[in-house]
Amino acid sequence: MENARMKFYCDESRCIECDGCSIACAEAHELPAGIARRKVITIHEGIPGKEVSTSIACMHCTDAPCEQVCPVDCFYIREDGVVLHDKEKCIGCGYCLYACPFGAPQFPREGIFGSKGAMDKCTMCAGGPLATNSHHEFELYGQNRIAEGKVPVCAAMCSTKALLVGDAESVSNVIRARVAARGGKGFNSYGWDKAYKNQ
Amino acid sequence: MRKYIYTLIALLGFATVAFGAADSQIWGEMRIQNILGYGQEESLKLGAWFTFLQSKYFAWVFLGVLIGVPTVFFLHYKIVGQKVFPHSHNKHYAFNLFHRTIHQVAAVSFMVIIPTGFIIVFGDFFGGGTLVRMAKNLHGIFTIPFAIVILPMALMWIKEAIFNLEDIKWFMILGGYLSKKKRIINATQFNAGQKMWYWVCILGGLVMILSGAMMFFMDFKIEMLHNLTGLSHIDMLRASAIIHNVMGFILVAVFFTHIYMAAVAIKGAIHSIITGYVEEEEVKFLHNAWYKKLKEKGKF
Ligand code: HEM
Ligand code: SF4
Ligand code: SF4
Repeated sequence: MENARMKFYCDESRCIECDGCSIACAEAHELPAGIARRKVITIHEGIPGKEVSTSIACMHCTDAPCEQVCPVDCFYIREDGVVLHDKEKCIGCGYCLYACPFGAPQFPREGIFGSKGAMDKCTMCAGGPLATNSHHEFELYGQNRIAEGKVPVCAAMCSTKALLVGDAESVSNVIRARVAARGGKGFNSYGWDKAYKNQ
Repeated sequence: MRKYIYTLIALLGFATVAFGAADSQIWGEMRIQNILGYGQEESLKLGAWFTFLQSKYFAWVFLGVLIGVPTVFFLHYKIVGQKVFPHSHNKHYAFNLFHRTIHQVAAVSFMVIIPTGFIIVFGDFFGGGTLVRMAKNLHGIFTIPFAIVILPMALMWIKEAIFNLEDIKWFMILGGYLSKKKRIINATQFNAGQKMWYWVCILGGLVMILSGAMMFFMDFKIEMLHNLTGLSHIDMLRASAIIHNVMGFILVAVFFTHIYMAAVAIKGAIHSIITGYVEEEEVKFLHNAWYKKLKEKGKF
């Protein structure tokens, strides 16, 4: 069997802008103030028919641009497509943010000079390179729910199940069924093409 | 001077306060522009451009400059060699304590900024982590002394750095540095090469400070900048990163040239900026127009 490709998908016709996903994420990973790995945004606000809300975090892109630009090469991409990075290698230069189409990488301020600390972003609840479920891993990357066989917390908590995560095929099946039930409307999700290159 | 330093410190302070108080320009509501600005038809596609250039070219060009420029000078040293002028008792006091102090602060800053810049660029070679992070922090910290001296340095030498018609002739023969022969060059206090370094260092230095500061502060709000450039905040950061790298190539190449000229190409020339005294023979041959003027004034 080929490896599953993990993807996020936010069904814009269901998202009610409740912010549950981003709060669940911040709570579960005990993120410091000022870091929001996931954020709900509203696009085309006030334009009738075009206004949509969607939940954005790191999309774990195909050919991830962040991984391409990092000067210390601290990213690694798991076989299931989850894009992770090594915070102990990261120097906080900001390049990954400049390359990212979604503004996902974020930087806490550190030290007396207030320089940018190690980058932080969504891990798809898959932790980091340290020993799985160790205290050290939790401190740096948050929960490793994938290793425990659990769904990423944002999608698990989504009250309308707008936010989906899983292997590409299962996600596509859910969407296809929903789109069919809605009479063919609302297939596209913001950033989906960009992140996965229509694959 | 004092006032100028205070203003600088105040500005740095304000920028930090602005960061804490203002809404995030990148991760808040503005995150939408960030997304819209990436590779969309109507935008400059700076995100895609930065990704392309940084992933494919920047480090290689830096490696090319790091190896290429010293190679050229090594060949010059082997083939043409040093110019040696007799150091007699006749000297002229050309650089006073103020000139030298300003120059030395800039010199020390560069000696930290440039190697650390290379360590960041080749961060994967150095394995990332503490060492490269330290390099990043030193790179930023030593920008402060450079930023303090850059304007005084610009002002104290601007009169000597204006190009004139003689400079075209200097460029045609590259100042006579391609031949072993000593010939009289009709340059003023600074020759065309030195003038070029002045402008690259001052204008390029300002560009490096500004683009570096943008990347350092990252999340700040200066409305004027957006109106002026028409760019979203994230695109300004991307432009800064591109400009910092491209200007970096030029600055490093000309900086290496400056070091070679002062420390190697003309034997002992470096002492003039340490002691303040220039040698009569050197001035006579390499800066003849200046020499004549000094003679008229009864110097030497
Ligand atoms: C007068 C010259 C220069 C000045 C004033 C300057 C200043 C700065 C500053 C203030 C930053 C932001 C630091 C931070 O985010 O913590 C920066 C970043 C950077 N500089 Fe420079 N720089 C100069 C020359 C160079 C050169 C020659 C190179 C390459 C060899 C270079 C490579 C970099 C890189 C790769 C970054 C991005 C990584 C980072 O932000 O740490 N810089 N520079
Ligand atoms: S969304 Fe951004 S941070 Fe996440 S994989 Fe894509 S480029 Fe990297
Ligand atoms: S901030 Fe860290 S992860 Fe991002 S490009 Fe720089 S070193 Fe790599």
